[in-house]
Amino acid sequence: MKVSTKETTYDSLYATFEERIEKLKKLPKMKEDTSIEQAIEENGFSRREFMKWAGAMTAMLSLPASFTPLMAEAVKVADRLPIIWLHMAECTGCTESLLRSANPSIDSLIFDYISLEYQETIMTAVGWQAEQNLENAIKKYKGRYILMVEGGIPNGDTEYNLTVGPHGKSGKKISQDASKDAAAIFAIGTCSAFGGVQAAAPNPTNAVALSEVTDRPVINVPGCPPSEKNIVGTLMHYLLYGTLPALDVFNRPKWAYRLRIHDLCERRGRFDAGEFVENFGDEGAKDGYCLYKVGCKGPYTFNNCGKQKFNQGTSWPIQAGFGCIGCSEPNFWDTMGTVNEPLRDRLYHTTLGGLGADATADRIGIALLTVTTVGIAAHAAIAAVKPPKK
Amino acid sequence: MSTENKDNIHHGELVEVEEVVEFTPAYRWQHWIRALTIVVLTFTGFYIAYPFIDPSSNPEPTNFLYANMRAVHLAFGFLMIAAVLIKTYLTLLGKADTYKAEFVSMKDLINPKIWIHQLGYYMFLSKHPPLKGVYNPLQFMAYFAMYILFYLLIITGIVLYVHVYHEGLGGALYGIGRWFEVLMGGLANVREIHHISMWALLIIIVIHIYMAVFNAVFGKNGSMDAIFSGMKWNKKH
Ligand code: HEM
Ligand code: SF4
Ligand code: SF4
Repeated sequence: MKVSTKETTYDSLYATFEERIEKLKKLPKMKEDTSIEQAIEENGFSRREFMKWAGAMTAMLSLPASFTPLMAEAVKVADRLPIIWLHMAECTGCTESLLRSANPSIDSLIFDYISLEYQETIMTAVGWQAEQNLENAIKKYKGRYILMVEGGIPNGDTEYNLTVGPHGKSGKKISQDASKDAAAIFAIGTCSAFGGVQAAAPNPTNAVALSEVTDRPVINVPGCPPSEKNIVGTLMHYLLYGTLPALDVFNRPKWAYRLRIHDLCERRGRFDAGEFVENFGDEGAKDGYCLYKVGCKGPYTFNNCGKQKFNQGTSWPIQAGFGCIGCSEPNFWDTMGTVNEPLRDRLYHTTLGGLGADATADRIGIALLTVTTVGIAAHAAIAAVKPPKK
Repeated sequence: MSTENKDNIHHGELVEVEEVVEFTPAYRWQHWIRALTIVVLTFTGFYIAYPFIDPSSNPEPTNFLYANMRAVHLAFGFLMIAAVLIKTYLTLLGKADTYKAEFVSMKDLINPKIWIHQLGYYMFLSKHPPLKGVYNPLQFMAYFAMYILFYLLIITGIVLYVHVYHEGLGGALYGIGRWFEVLMGGLANVREIHHISMWALLIIIVIHIYMAVFNAVFGKNGSMDAIFSGMKWNKKH
């Protein structure tokens, strides 16, 4: 955005948002008896705290501070958007991270409060009734609901490995059916965005990302789990803009995944200085040295953890002295090597029929170089006694 | 027989030779620039992968060991890019005989007889085959692999570069860099490919140096000198 046009573009953006909020306001509320404001108040948050949250969310989405009141308004109409949340092959960690904090944050309250038409972890319906709820929600809110999917999707001849509900539908079929009529689709967590842990080698269930089984556009919100901020932020973004956010090359929202952990890291100065923690608990660790040599994968990982932090902004892994494990990258279980060891020491497991199991690139390299040198020495020795034919 | 010949030369018996241009100055320059950059890039690269030097301890925030290593790596990286691009241009479009002869080597490459004799020569079984081009088939394959590795190192290096420097050239190459990043399955893989390509290059280079020495000792036509002086000696027929 050019500086000279900033004022006017923001003005028109502001107007667009206002219009959109008005439109959403006219839609029926999903829950008649309460409102998000009420819920926030009942949980002991003051108006001031709420506005602070709205200000932070506004900044996170790279909007100017003047948009804060608009953000606060937008939250209030968040209960107009029906949401269907599907669980595929996963650990429910993404849901848990959002819902089970010791002191519920405003983010988790909003999530609790928005109209989750179908969410297996928190709904009471079971069996046939649950199935019916899902079908009804898809029908009733056709083209209006937001689909959030957690978990990888078993595919191919092992598709049946994930079979859910009384109809015995496969996870793939369920997510395809739900994708068809969704207004927007968010793949929440690395499993649903990239396949995740069940897609790690040898991937016995042939698990794939949601985007592999549907041809609808999918917004990836990876992380293992993604921070509550990134999940709620994605939702708020959609609420305000009504369109899909600008995406990076792996279809992650740019506002959250544009930069590497390494680019936003408070230890980066130590990295560039060449000052590294050698062992957990050593002097360097106490002085806040860089965690690269004890396996930090921040240089290969795109996410905003260093900015948004976890547990209501208390801390994040690297601040706590533990390297990033690269959780928001595709296939990170396979590509990032061993936790706590630098990428250089990545093992090659199944490569060469298992011979790679404890071999690193350097070890294989040195072995091959040794073989080469031995071969050369032998050749030279022969040449010394029996020169090549002229 | 060969020993006799050798003795003859040693005893000063005349063998008629002529001096021919093997390598042009541009060829020799880019060769040695590449050699130098590989040495520096390998050293700094190993440091980048696993910083094995402790900086002298200093309470002031004036230490930039890793940043300096990376800066050197990048400076020599771009020097290598220049050398490889110039050489690629010369090979494809160069006017001098050397570059034309590089192409002629392909004729030897597709000739199975040359292959058999070349292998036989290195296994001390047969004579060196007469070549049409400058490189024998094994040499050609090795150099071809080398260029694939150079380009792999350059591409993966650029992808890593655009994430270190977001402005200027880094910014200009950002889009294409990220395209390659997706192709390779993420930055961690890009680093891995960069690292493995280095190892493959190192092994080929060790063999390359041995073969060059071998041919200098037994070929006796000054082809090793040629990479320094440009000239070599061909027997007059
Ligand atoms: C013979 C050629 C080269 C060799 C042997 C080499 C070697 C290496 C090695 C071993 C690493 C560490 C990778 C790891 O973490 O495992 C590295 C990193 C890197 N290389 Fe190279 N490299 C070469 C050429 C280049 C070129 C042409 C560029 C392009 C400008 C380049 C740019 C980089 C960058 C940016 C990094 C990462 C630095 C960082 O993240 O801080 N390299 N190189
Ligand atoms: S701790 Fe990790 S992310 Fe931070 S500077 Fe070091 S390597 Fe980069
Ligand atoms: S610091 Fe790294 S591993 Fe931890 S949550 Fe963030 S991206 Fe994932």
